[in-house]
Amino acid sequence: MEKAGIKASHLIISDRLRYNLIFTGLAIIILLFFLLDLFLGSVSVKPKDIIDAIFNNSENIARTILVKFRLPKAITALSVGIALSISGLQMQTLFRNPMAGPYVLGISSGASLGVALVLLGFSSSMTPDTIRAFGNWAIAGASWAGAGLVMILIMIISGRVKNIMTVLILGIMLSSGISAIVGILQYFSSETMLKAYIIWTMGSLGNLTSSQLNVLMLSVLFGVLISLISVKMLNAMLLGENYARSIGLNVRMSRVIIITGTSILAGTITAFCGPIGFIGIAVPHVARIIFRTSDHNVLIPGTMLAGGIIMLISDIISQMPGSDNILPVNSITALIGIPVVIWVILRNQRYSEIF
Amino acid sequence: MEHERGKILFFDSLEIGYSSGRMRKSLLPPIRGNGLEGELVAVIGKNGIGKSTLLRTIAGLQPVLAGTMSIDKRDIHEYSRIQLSAKIGYISTETVRVSNMSVYDLVSLGRFPHTNWFGKIDDSGHEAIADALAKTSLNTFSDRHITELSDGERQRAMIAMVLAQDAKIMVMDEPTAFLDISSKYEIMHLLHQLTRERNKTIVFSTHDFNTAVNQSDKIWLIREEGLLEGAPEDIMLKGAFKSLFDETKVRYNQYDGSFTVNSIEKGRIRVLGDGEMRYWTEKAVVRAGYTVTASESELEIEVTSQHNPRWECRKLNDLYEFGSIYDLMSWIRNSEVIS
Repeated sequence: MEKAGIKASHLIISDRLRYNLIFTGLAIIILLFFLLDLFLGSVSVKPKDIIDAIFNNSENIARTILVKFRLPKAITALSVGIALSISGLQMQTLFRNPMAGPYVLGISSGASLGVALVLLGFSSSMTPDTIRAFGNWAIAGASWAGAGLVMILIMIISGRVKNIMTVLILGIMLSSGISAIVGILQYFSSETMLKAYIIWTMGSLGNLTSSQLNVLMLSVLFGVLISLISVKMLNAMLLGENYARSIGLNVRMSRVIIITGTSILAGTITAFCGPIGFIGIAVPHVARIIFRTSDHNVLIPGTMLAGGIIMLISDIISQMPGSDNILPVNSITALIGIPVVIWVILRNQRYSEIF
Repeated sequence: MEHERGKILFFDSLEIGYSSGRMRKSLLPPIRGNGLEGELVAVIGKNGIGKSTLLRTIAGLQPVLAGTMSIDKRDIHEYSRIQLSAKIGYISTETVRVSNMSVYDLVSLGRFPHTNWFGKIDDSGHEAIADALAKTSLNTFSDRHITELSDGERQRAMIAMVLAQDAKIMVMDEPTAFLDISSKYEIMHLLHQLTRERNKTIVFSTHDFNTAVNQSDKIWLIREEGLLEGAPEDIMLKGAFKSLFDETKVRYNQYDGSFTVNSIEKGRIRVLGDGEMRYWTEKAVVRAGYTVTASESELEIEVTSQHNPRWECRKLNDLYEFGSIYDLMSWIRNSEVIS
């Protein structure tokens, strides 16, 4: 028995050391890419000017570019990466489905519907300016509600259908159905509002006003806090509903908390940056590969860091340093995320394992 | 009747089944039973009779439709989910398959009712986990991933999780199903040990009649008419086990508790010889559908075991000799067809 105790504590220490090393590494990488994202962009600014702009309060173009454009964009990229990755991780655990993610299961579509209802439905007689008055919180709130509604639907479906692929197909159906409703809304909406909506759907990290960025950051912070207090529940949920209950989990309350957090994270990002795919589904798998654990105490911070890094990289690529063109960030995340998803599908071909 | 040991589990007029909305489907007439501290209780009954439902009801995973269910002297309704989980551990037939989950992670989830909001495991928690791993002989497995375990090892890991949960009652739905024979005995031995050394009350369902009769302290036999409780031998003497089998197809031996598949009696055979050679030859004869007789008969087998075992079979006046029971029985089957 003594021996067992030594063995176990030895294991814990060595694992913790390994995790800490990886965390430190990831933190350094994320800092590097954050700085790189500030230094690189479609307008080439000399690194010296950037450093100047950071440390001196001189009013010049470099400083304007940095403060008005690059910094908000880098912060947005970071927030998007963190929020989508955690929401993906939580969905995968909640639905016990490795293919779950805000995009594939139609959660983003749900959020779009919320936004579309605000932009197109309730405001058929309004102009984009009145929308400003409506407030960013209204749009955010609508997207949360839309995302939450779809999450609950998927939850009900997952309770009845055990097959992972079937849930996925139903998610796609759901998402197509929602698109159809949005299509009808578009048909009946005014030209100016339609334009506002279409621009929104294209998605971008760089179009946020400072007040939108504030709403985004506050919401993501709130979502992250919820996910940090959900760690124990998420770990229990890995065992499936029956075991989770038998070890003492209040399943209903946990679901409400986790769905709330996930909806806020996925909804907020969709509301302000448009539907960005394949980050939510892919990053948790990357974190699992790096850390080789199922413990959410490690996976939540791990996915946060990995998601932030991958989104910063996507942003840097999309700006095509040295060129005037800006690629849609959606395409970049898809090209990065899809290989990971394919790898997971091929590895899990028989679906003998949940994750 | 007063018992020395505490009645940790007790139910009376209990109705089990399903309820959704105003629909209520009770599976059995009201049942009554109890489990004492340190007792190994086997639940047996036909498929679909309600064994799993009873176990799930005890574990608080399904509602009590009517009657009382008391756990450690308090009604089950008085417990919150987390309080109940500190009293009862549950292992279903569902296997946990989560990649990247180590045995240690799994077992530490058993500490769920004892940890704070963030699931931080304290020193006593680590001790309990190490102890659970040692008890289930999984010390060297703690950093192994559960997906890499054999079925028997995974079942031991589940038991370790419930041990770490530190509950007095353990409820297990067919813990030995899907296991190979050696793992099956290992698990049964472990359960037996836990009742004796740790004073756990273990309620498990099984289809393995011999395990239930030979290993358990008490049997809950579930039949259409309800639950019959007693020592395996009590139930044997009442002849109640017959209800498990279709008597037109299966014959039940009241004396040794064994069952044989009924077949049309083909004739009588006398077997001569001694010891285990004779015992197993008789078994084979019975399996082939013959009755063993002590008096002279048309077909006689004599077993001799000097040097090499030999079976001499006399049919009327012909004598045949065989080197194995298999050859002997093949010949008997053949000669049936001819005659």
